Amino acid sequence: MFYVPKEAVFRRISRRKFLELGGGAASSLGVGSMTLGLGSTITRRRVQAQSSDDAKWKQYAGSKLTFLSENTPPSFAVRDNIKTFQDLTGIEVTILTDDLPVVQQKVGIDLRSGKADYLLNYVQDKPIGAPFAEFYADMTPLFGDATLPQDPDGYGDDAWFENFLSACGRFYTEGKIVALPYDCAVACTFYRQDIFEANSKDFEAEHGYRLEFTKDSTWKNVIDMAAFFKKAKEAGKDVPYGYAQHHGSFAWTTQLDIQRLLFANGRWMDWNIDDVYGSKEPGKTNWGDEQSVLIMTKFKELADVCHPDNLANGTLELNTVYQAGNIAMQTQYHEFAASIEDEKTSRAAGGKTAYAVCPKGEASWIKNGGEAVNGCNLGIGGIGINGNASDDLKRAAYTFAIWSVSRENQFNDLKGLGGTPTRKSVFAMEEVKKSMVRPTTMPNALTFDAVYNYCIKNPHIVLGPKIPQANEYHSILAAEVQKCLSNEQTPEEACKSIQTQLDELNGAG
Amino acid sequence: MNSIAADRAKPGAGLFRVRQILDNVEAKPVSTALTWPATLNPAASKRYYFWLVAPAVALLAFISIYPFFWMIYMGLHDVEIGSVVWNDFANFTRLPSDSRYVGGWLLLFQYSAMCLALQIGIGVFLAVALNGLRHEKILVTMLLMPMMIAPLVAGMVWYFLYNGTFGWYHWLLQSVGILGPKSILGSPDTAMLAIVIIDVWQWTPLITLITLAGLKRVPQDQLEANMVDGASPFVNFISVTLPNLYPVLLIAIMLRFMDNFRFIDSALVLTGGGPGNATKILPIYLFEVSFKFFKLGRGAAIALTLLVVTIILGMILAKVFDRLHPKRT
Amino acid sequence: MASRDIVQYQAPLSRAFGWFSAVFLALYLVWTLLPILVMFISSFKDLLEAFKIPPVGDWAGVTLFFDFTPTFKHYENLFVNLNFSQYMANSLIAAGGSAAISVILGSMAAYSLSRIDFHGKSDLLFWIISTRMAPVVAVMVPLYWIFRELELVGTLPGLILAYTTFNLPFAIWILKGFFDDVPYAIEEAQMVDGATRFQAFLSILPLVGPGIGAVVVLCILFAWNDYLFAAIIGSGGAKTLSVATRELVQPQNIQWGPIMAAGVVTTLPMMLLGLVIRRYLVAGLTMGAVKE
Repeated sequence: MFYVPKEAVFRRISRRKFLELGGGAASSLGVGSMTLGLGSTITRRRVQAQSSDDAKWKQYAGSKLTFLSENTPPSFAVRDNIKTFQDLTGIEVTILTDDLPVVQQKVGIDLRSGKADYLLNYVQDKPIGAPFAEFYADMTPLFGDATLPQDPDGYGDDAWFENFLSACGRFYTEGKIVALPYDCAVACTFYRQDIFEANSKDFEAEHGYRLEFTKDSTWKNVIDMAAFFKKAKEAGKDVPYGYAQHHGSFAWTTQLDIQRLLFANGRWMDWNIDDVYGSKEPGKTNWGDEQSVLIMTKFKELADVCHPDNLANGTLELNTVYQAGNIAMQTQYHEFAASIEDEKTSRAAGGKTAYAVCPKGEASWIKNGGEAVNGCNLGIGGIGINGNASDDLKRAAYTFAIWSVSRENQFNDLKGLGGTPTRKSVFAMEEVKKSMVRPTTMPNALTFDAVYNYCIKNPHIVLGPKIPQANEYHSILAAEVQKCLSNEQTPEEACKSIQTQLDELNGAG
Repeated sequence: MNSIAADRAKPGAGLFRVRQILDNVEAKPVSTALTWPATLNPAASKRYYFWLVAPAVALLAFISIYPFFWMIYMGLHDVEIGSVVWNDFANFTRLPSDSRYVGGWLLLFQYSAMCLALQIGIGVFLAVALNGLRHEKILVTMLLMPMMIAPLVAGMVWYFLYNGTFGWYHWLLQSVGILGPKSILGSPDTAMLAIVIIDVWQWTPLITLITLAGLKRVPQDQLEANMVDGASPFVNFISVTLPNLYPVLLIAIMLRFMDNFRFIDSALVLTGGGPGNATKILPIYLFEVSFKFFKLGRGAAIALTLLVVTIILGMILAKVFDRLHPKRT
Repeated sequence: MASRDIVQYQAPLSRAFGWFSAVFLALYLVWTLLPILVMFISSFKDLLEAFKIPPVGDWAGVTLFFDFTPTFKHYENLFVNLNFSQYMANSLIAAGGSAAISVILGSMAAYSLSRIDFHGKSDLLFWIISTRMAPVVAVMVPLYWIFRELELVGTLPGLILAYTTFNLPFAIWILKGFFDDVPYAIEEAQMVDGATRFQAFLSILPLVGPGIGAVVVLCILFAWNDYLFAAIIGSGGAKTLSVATRELVQPQNIQWGPIMAAGVVTTLPMMLLGLVIRRYLVAGLTMGAVKE
């Protein structure tokens, strides 16, 4: 048909083959749907205050909502159970789950650009709530709205565990509530009773007190224990390391690890601000003072006798170390108990592990005149409604929000996937109470006594710091602490460096 | 032919000529199009060609110029929640005193230099070892497998291998006594090496491929003449082969260098910049500033500096093409 | 080949070199293929078996690695419970769509740029390729802004457009090299015979067919392997394989089995494509600067 030049390049290979390849690839492009957009749509039927509950639930039947959440058990539980909600309301909810950093990016971009692609958000207290609180809708007007369905247990502070509503719902002001507690991760101590018992004699001979973990065990005791195990291990004995922490690339856990020590010893905090509500202008930081330098020194001392891989481990990796039987004790988030008790994956299962409160402060370490407490902290995720959405969308989203944190849902989540309840009414259920002792069908409940009856109560719990720059604060703190732990700088230098950077961050230099 | 001369004065011109010159096929004139068929009206031709280019250029302009001006605009402002305020270049002036920014550049260069040194060293050696082997083709095919893997997947697989509890590579390193129970990601001294290793694993084959292509063009007659004169293969390699490889190696270096600036998927998965700031190369820091701290102004300023440096590198790359391609016509 | 003949002239030293390089090559091959092998094998392991590792220094324990009962449950999990067929289709559509657009617009542009000369052409070409040099992180935020305005976030067309940002300059750049190699005389002859300009353009397309094929494959490869664009721009409605794989890292449970299986699912098609265009890989990955 047309002239093909003799000197055409690429003549050595089969031209036809490549043509076919190109054509085949091109023709396969046409298939599939191209319009998988995001976004929520709304349809509405008017209801009155005196309408039936069913009518109130169903007023937005036919609407579509999008919920962006972290990939944690409650969201899976809610997703598995979404049919119930759809039957109840006629609303279709798309639940998108992602890694927390990705959730954070997407939520941040969405909120700041004035959009509501993600109508409902997972409001993790510090990473998402602190920087974006003002972009979320205030839920308080909806709580008493007679034209909306309401949860019989209510939404007051009493309905949730102590401080939970404030932790994820209140930022910088008392009056506005931006999220309802959806799930939580509270720090507590996991330790191997069997290993402790086996080594008790040797430990007592060396340290003059029994190797056991109680409410009164201090961080100094933890260092003793870790040092004891490390020494024994290095002497060739068949023991694991004593203790380990999570300072891996997930910056939040490094901050939480050191915050527990700081708070336990004299209730020290980064700034002199209210830790419940936080502050937009925290002012000068307390980092660099005598107390912080001393605790940083002790923190380093502890790290030096821990399992050496702290800097590579995040929460999950540390938990794997514990599951593998390579450490005798860890401070871990209570949602991990279920994985510890799983006989299939864990060497620490079957009654070997005991769950206790966080270690206490050591009187001799306290320089600021404060109290020694069992310093504990938590990560709490709320469910919040995008403030950029229309009123109707907000109302429709509200029905989902209250449904997702209802007692039934939290119970299902605890039972099915090992979630962690935030409502007191779940804790009060007979079945849950029974599960708090072995043998149990809900292993997470084994931690509940230590966590809900002790750790999360004042004066042990620290919520903050809630500041708009929370994410950069976490990053700075983690980096400097890690540098100190890896001998790149002394504890004094680390504290000073944190001080300088934080004061610059908040414009308080 | 005058167009080639004119092109050569401009950066980038060599990029599309080198392929012809390096090719053993006789180079064809680029500008045959300058002789219009007598039957056609040149002006109409120009218009026709313009319309063929237009859609692509318009699309590219749309997705590149807007972001560029957006970055300049944001870079000059304080973009706090809900407000955009002019801030007298503060985003830029604070950069030199931002230790994470300065450190990010240093680490980026360190990271890239380590990657390149290893990749070039190993890659060239592999190419020399492979060149002319009976099974060259199949061996090369096996070698290039890692390049096909998504960096994210590669990062996760290596994370699995490096893990201190169940990672086989950690077990191996521990068993031969290189590492203790502290895993490679658990120390600032070794974490950088960990992300270098994965880059080396993925991209050394590219250097090998490029070098192999270069080796095929080394003048054999010269090598043989030197042999007859008693030069050892090593001397021959240094004096004849290597100089012939310079152009292709420089291209490889520049490309890898730019890719180290562009892609952070596997490093993000492996270390996220830690421990400490040991692997917080500039693109990772930029990622944090823009997507974690949501400092859009500061992020834009950092992005602009990164972009400008990348483009300058690109221009140098173009110049390198011009200067160093073997002048054989 | 000549180089091999030369090596054979030299006695002990080059023989030693030969041995050394053979050993090095063998070791390097092992190191190159091992992670892929581990990924492949681990995808058939139950988690417990995947975590089995011998004590430090117990070399005989290496056999533990092969001590498992193969299970397909991870793959089953991906495709039955986790909707991976949808994500795979998304990856395919996004990568293929962007490759198609890039090749169509790219070949038109490349053809023209190969056929005409004008003042500032090399500047234009440099600008085109410079759009591909931009670090992804740097342009992500502004791009997100535009895409958001156009309602393209979370949609496949959005992701296709995002991938076109780096595939189109690449396509133009490489295809121009291919068009440069086609003598103008061919079109000229066609037009003298009465063909229109466009027909003449179409008539030479078969000559650059291999180039087009290679560019399509490479564009698919680049897009398929992307993570950042897919995570931010494709989020939600257009979840691709790499994003779905990353999502298997859950705070309480890194699902290593499914992750490895997803890795295999993501990697295998690209390895096969890589083999098919093996010849053009060097030219493609060096922007056409080096050709085999």
